[in-house]
Amino acid sequence: MSAFQEGGRFPDGTTIGVAAALVALPFILPSVTLASELVVFAVATLSCAFLLGMVGLLSFGQGLFFGIGAYVSAILLREHGAATLPAVLAAALVAGTGAGLLALLAVRRRGVYFVMLTLAFAQMGYFAMLALRESTGGENGLTGVPRTPLLGGFGALAGPGAIYAFLAVLAFAAYALTQCVGASPFGSVLRAIRRNEARAEALGYDVRAFKVAAFAFAGLLAGLAGAMHTVFLGFAPPNVIDLEMSERLLVMAIIGGASAPAGAFLGAGFYLLLADFLSALWPRWLLLIGLLLIGIVLFLRDGLWGGAAAWLRRLRPAATPHG
Amino acid sequence: MAETLLAARGIGVRFGDFRALSDVTLDVPASSLHAVIGPNGAGKTTLFNVLTGRLAPNEGRVALAGRDVTRLPAHRRVHLGMARSFQVTNIFADLTVAENLRLAVQAVRGWEKWVFWRGLGRQIAARHQVAALLEDVGLAPRATWRAGDLSHGGQRALEIGMALAADPRIVFLDEPLAGMGIDEVHRTKELIRGLVPGRTVVLIEHNMRVVLDISDRITVLAQGRPIAEGTPAMIRADAAVREAYLGSGM
Repeated sequence: MSAFQEGGRFPDGTTIGVAAALVALPFILPSVTLASELVVFAVATLSCAFLLGMVGLLSFGQGLFFGIGAYVSAILLREHGAATLPAVLAAALVAGTGAGLLALLAVRRRGVYFVMLTLAFAQMGYFAMLALRESTGGENGLTGVPRTPLLGGFGALAGPGAIYAFLAVLAFAAYALTQCVGASPFGSVLRAIRRNEARAEALGYDVRAFKVAAFAFAGLLAGLAGAMHTVFLGFAPPNVIDLEMSERLLVMAIIGGASAPAGAFLGAGFYLLLADFLSALWPRWLLLIGLLLIGIVLFLRDGLWGGAAAWLRRLRPAATPHG
Repeated sequence: MAETLLAARGIGVRFGDFRALSDVTLDVPASSLHAVIGPNGAGKTTLFNVLTGRLAPNEGRVALAGRDVTRLPAHRRVHLGMARSFQVTNIFADLTVAENLRLAVQAVRGWEKWVFWRGLGRQIAARHQVAALLEDVGLAPRATWRAGDLSHGGQRALEIGMALAADPRIVFLDEPLAGMGIDEVHRTKELIRGLVPGRTVVLIEHNMRVVLDISDRITVLAQGRPIAEGTPAMIRADAAVREAYLGSGM
């Protein structure tokens, strides 16, 4: 049972599991840096998984909102000397607002046409970044972003450990918020739209308004992840807003499984660890990721998380929850 | 006669070169049961789609209680007191019967559907409404069933329940009896007749015996045009209707 399906609750076992995993990660993984990168992409993948798993919207454009979050936070920290926490939250809000505005256009189309519109947004984002060279640094990105204290001069982000702790807390907040939304009345409407859009409309739900709200929320998550990425790296490279970013987030979501928020975290973690391992062995490692994606789409429709959940259910048939 | 609740004037719908509806005019008095009948392809469901807002007509106007709703989308009409069931059963098959009704109730409960910061457990009032609806449509014993596992008749009853959840002034039922067994037909007929005079009902139905039995007025459509309108007795005696229905055992 997960928060993207009916009967999902918040908090549940996965809430505790995610908290435990976030505490354990820097000790298990070979480096704290890898752990930080993992939580950043876990939040970004959550954005894709939420749209796909809850509302049934496939977005190729989440990289755009990731990029907006990365650049807005970099500008606030570098040019305006903002404290880290407000800079990160403001960047997430800007990305969420931007997503909501673009969604006003995108939700007028369904299916493939919706996907093409999100793809167009992502593509335009990259060139908008190049065009706004004055603010974004163009192909050089924004370097030398300072790590200011969290709030009002307190909470110095001294060293990788402190940075990881800050990012992990944000990731947990994002996970808990997504679960909470999934288990709410609002979440039940989004699922109803995914299952039967015409019926939801006939019941009196303004389907477009709900899709816009869902898209804005997903944009907020992606923007938050982008801002976390800036804090993590200390600069905003141009690849945070390119099309490949959108594609990578979607691949992580599908590998992990979009049926549950935990799937997003699992997918991002699995992808990054595999990439870390494979890239040391073979420069063409992306080919293997491609094969993995094919395998999952063909044989594990609900991704690694869905596969693991089904396997657990088979082990304990008596404990199968119903409905 | 009671005041007119629903008024359609000169409705015309074209799909490319095909004229699905031409100059259809319909007046439904409040608290009445009005049936729309006609051979397959006469345009009955198209007319329903225009009246409930799924389809914008090329010509004509629709008014609900004097308010022009011609261009109003379907979800907004629900909030003005218009609800419908579908010809092809249209439910959330993978959800429980109670959850189907809860979604229907939640849709018209103000801002509750936008609440994202707490779970579903707090919807006490909605839960009571769901329980009452389950009783009304006779599905209380099957509340926890997966809706797709209900019998055909059960699913049709659920559809009616979902339409009633909005506490509508006017209910549009598109072939509610289609595919039902004899027992179910009788039970559903009683359910529909019991909706008036509290509500107004517009009904599309092929079961002529039921239509003639429960309707206050009947409109007959053929090839997208109304060819007769009147009480069941008038329709039974109408020569044009007999022509259109020749051989259908009327």
